[in-house]
Amino acid sequence: MNRLEIDWTRCDGHGLCATLLPDDVALDEWGFPVLRGREISAGAAPDVRRAILACPALALRFADR
Amino acid sequence: MTTLQDTRVRVIGEPRLLAGFDLGRLDRQRHHWTHGTQPDLTRETYTRLAESVGLRGRGGAAFPVALKLADLPARGIAAVVVNGAESEPVSRKDRLLLTVAPHLVLDGAVGLARALGAPHVLIAVHDAVAATSVREAIVERDDGVAIEVSDTPGRFVAGEARAVLSALEGGPAVPPGRRVLPTRKGYHRRPTFLSNVETFAQLAVLARLGSKGFSSTGLISEPGTQLLTIAGAVRQPGVIETPTGVPLDTVLQFAGAEPGPVLLGGYHGRWPARTDGLTLQRPDASAGIILALGSDTCPLGEVHRVAGWLASQSAGQCGPCVFGLAALVDDFGRLVRGEPAGWHDAQRHLGLVPGRGACAHPDGSARFLASALEVFGEDVRLHLGGGGGCGRPVRGVLPVPGGEW
Ligand code: SF4
Ligand code: SF4
Repeated sequence: MNRLEIDWTRCDGHGLCATLLPDDVALDEWGFPVLRGREISAGAAPDVRRAILACPALALRFADR
Repeated sequence: MTTLQDTRVRVIGEPRLLAGFDLGRLDRQRHHWTHGTQPDLTRETYTRLAESVGLRGRGGAAFPVALKLADLPARGIAAVVVNGAESEPVSRKDRLLLTVAPHLVLDGAVGLARALGAPHVLIAVHDAVAATSVREAIVERDDGVAIEVSDTPGRFVAGEARAVLSALEGGPAVPPGRRVLPTRKGYHRRPTFLSNVETFAQLAVLARLGSKGFSSTGLISEPGTQLLTIAGAVRQPGVIETPTGVPLDTVLQFAGAEPGPVLLGGYHGRWPARTDGLTLQRPDASAGIILALGSDTCPLGEVHRVAGWLASQSAGQCGPCVFGLAALVDDFGRLVRGEPAGWHDAQRHLGLVPGRGACAHPDGSARFLASALEVFGEDVRLHLGGGGGCGRPVRGVLPVPGGEW
């Protein structure tokens, strides 16, 4: 029961998250992530965690609530 | 009619917040003669009163005060914060209140701070005259609560609640990246009650009148009075205190507005499709800003100017806000010049901006622009029809700080 969230004050639009998580993140015309907003299933959680750690700006995270 | 600081002040019905304003600023003594002393109430009483009269915050968000109080923990509340940044460029009501009735605002804030056991009252003000009036008022009082006044920068986003908190803590006046509630993590990340200047004046009036007295005017669902700022194509711009639920047409007539479209709620607000039959209540009345456009200026050109200002007010932190608003300025520019691609791109970009920033600036700006495209559909057709637009010049009826952008 968790979703992705972006700290927009940090995100630099590197786009790495969209490459790592093509099912959850797309990129807009400026290269910034568009979240598909779906719940992260238990099976997908490890990949998502990896992407969170890979974000160069530390902008990607699980939503608190 | 009274003029204070170049702002015309008038009242429809009974003046409450502005009682005694016709004689100028209410010092401590005149404040007491006019309003009486502030009763000492408990937190439970404040919550019950706020709930029974449906009091909502008088900034932009119109959040119910009782819910905000209920969200605070039982103890450990760090501060009560009065947001007087009043960063909507047209709004004048908050600086007017702080200038004319500083003790009423302070009574509300101090009374609540005592009830909540909060040791600090912090007042964020942008306007210099208002700040001086509050500082003078503080010297006249002895509340046993530390009251501090801070100057905030005049940017639009600097008035956002978390930007105000950041500024009060000595940081930059921009919203932080996490959307946390001040009631949970506010001043120095501790529970904080933050609301708009007028909200505190309303609380002071409510504490004195009780729910029955408070409800003797205005709507049943949200009784009492409200402060409105009206500007644009009106003969008598300024601040008006009215009962809640006053018909918009009454206010427009009272201020001598030219016929034409009206913007409600400022530059994050909306253009209602029609003004007749509308009553002014929250959340549509929002911070109480009414802008009449009149009929001899080009609506889309006006909106384009404001879009440019909105884009310039982005705190520059969040990509989709920075790039999205800049793209929309360009889209509206092309639309005004008659290029259909401008309209199409605007539709797409309006979908890409909301919800994608650290604060609600992109959301509010997109709401304003989307509503304009809807309500000015006929003008869009005129501009895109190859006939060189609507034939009206852009007069700059919608004020944009600093004139050009
Ligand atoms: S990887 Fe991080 S910085 Fe790059 S686009 Fe995704 S969230 Fe933004
Ligand atoms: S959304 Fe825009 S205005 Fe708000 S913090 Fe981000 S860049 Fe600044």
